[in-house]
Amino acid sequence: MPDRTARQDFLKGLSSENPIFRQMLGMCPTLAVTNAVINGIAMGLATSFVLIFSSLVISSIKRLIPNQVRIASYIVIIASFVTIADRVLAGFFPAISKALGPFVPLIVVNCIILGRAEAFASKNKVGRSVIDAVGMSLGFFLALLLLSSIRELLGSGTLLGHPVLGEWFEPWVIMLLPPGAFITLGLLMAISIQLEKRQKGG
Amino acid sequence: MSLAARMVLVLTTVGLLSGTFLMTVGLLTKDRIALNKKLEIERAIMTVVPGSSSSRLLYEEKDLTVYGGMDAMGSTVGYAVYASGVGFQDKISLVVGIDKDLTKIHNLAVLEQKETPGLGAKITDKASFLIYWEGRDFTQPLRLRKPPVDSSARLASSEVNTITGATISSQAVVDIVNSARDKVKKLAEAGKLVTGEENAR
Repeated sequence: MPDRTARQDFLKGLSSENPIFRQMLGMCPTLAVTNAVINGIAMGLATSFVLIFSSLVISSIKRLIPNQVRIASYIVIIASFVTIADRVLAGFFPAISKALGPFVPLIVVNCIILGRAEAFASKNKVGRSVIDAVGMSLGFFLALLLLSSIRELLGSGTLLGHPVLGEWFEPWVIMLLPPGAFITLGLLMAISIQLEKRQKGG
Repeated sequence: MSLAARMVLVLTTVGLLSGTFLMTVGLLTKDRIALNKKLEIERAIMTVVPGSSSSRLLYEEKDLTVYGGMDAMGSTVGYAVYASGVGFQDKISLVVGIDKDLTKIHNLAVLEQKETPGLGAKITDKASFLIYWEGRDFTQPLRLRKPPVDSSARLASSEVNTITGATISSQAVVDIVNSARDKVKKLAEAGKLVTGEENAR
């Protein structure tokens, strides 16, 4: 049943193997850039681009790469896509590129990308690898979106820069700082585990 | 082929292909990135020097560039100084607009900063920081007003408001402007801040 496996490959990135809430990979950008929704979205998109294309390339050339130099080759391939993302952002979306600062170049060492290359793309066919990468990207993107929405709403009282909460609201500055990231992530993780437990216990 | 030879061959090929690819992307985006930076500075000059519609580079050194802001007729209406210095986390780059006689600050714009979001990053915020720079006295060094007051009218002419919780970032901006101020005064005394229009006379 190839159809069912494809769906599973896709869905596991969203739920059972969600990179943020389950695998806890790529925590550095997750915690660092999610202080505003626009940054979360841009980081999610840039990471998705790198993840999907490096999975595609790595799974297509996996047979040519000797086992001993595979990690080195993956890093070079991933770094190339990251540099492309970085230059394109700087050239066409200077404001976003400025907001993300050093975190775009740091996608190179985002464990999700090397993790998927090593755990999936290097062992599976091109099609499945791309589906897996798209699912993982979407899972990562949605997690960043959720995290950054909560932090921006409580930390600045805005969403995407538009005031949402009224004048009465005193922004919780801590939500914009690193502790806010840890607290929000911890609570979200607890909720997601609880939800899954209840589903299973159903 | 031996394993060692294959390893070398594969890594070299991967490296070369990536390099070529990146070179192409670099060449394609290089001009755009440079243009973006130039546009950003130009836009900042127009906002900090009211009435200017074009600018001319007058002087350049490390961490300090002076532009003359011209109106539509080509006469100088003020100066814009692009200066950088150390902030709380990383470099801060800003443009400060000064009137023609170097006596008053028109306006300030922060172009680059990596200060703490929600605290130091407010140096880019008009309502909580930049507004207190409008019309400050440029004839003497600036000082921070701490604790901050709620309106510009209550500040002395050479005082600017501190951002609560971000004294270091606020002080960094004041220091950058003050050190730019010293250099600009010296340049003006040495007669190096002449625009083309005055040269022609």
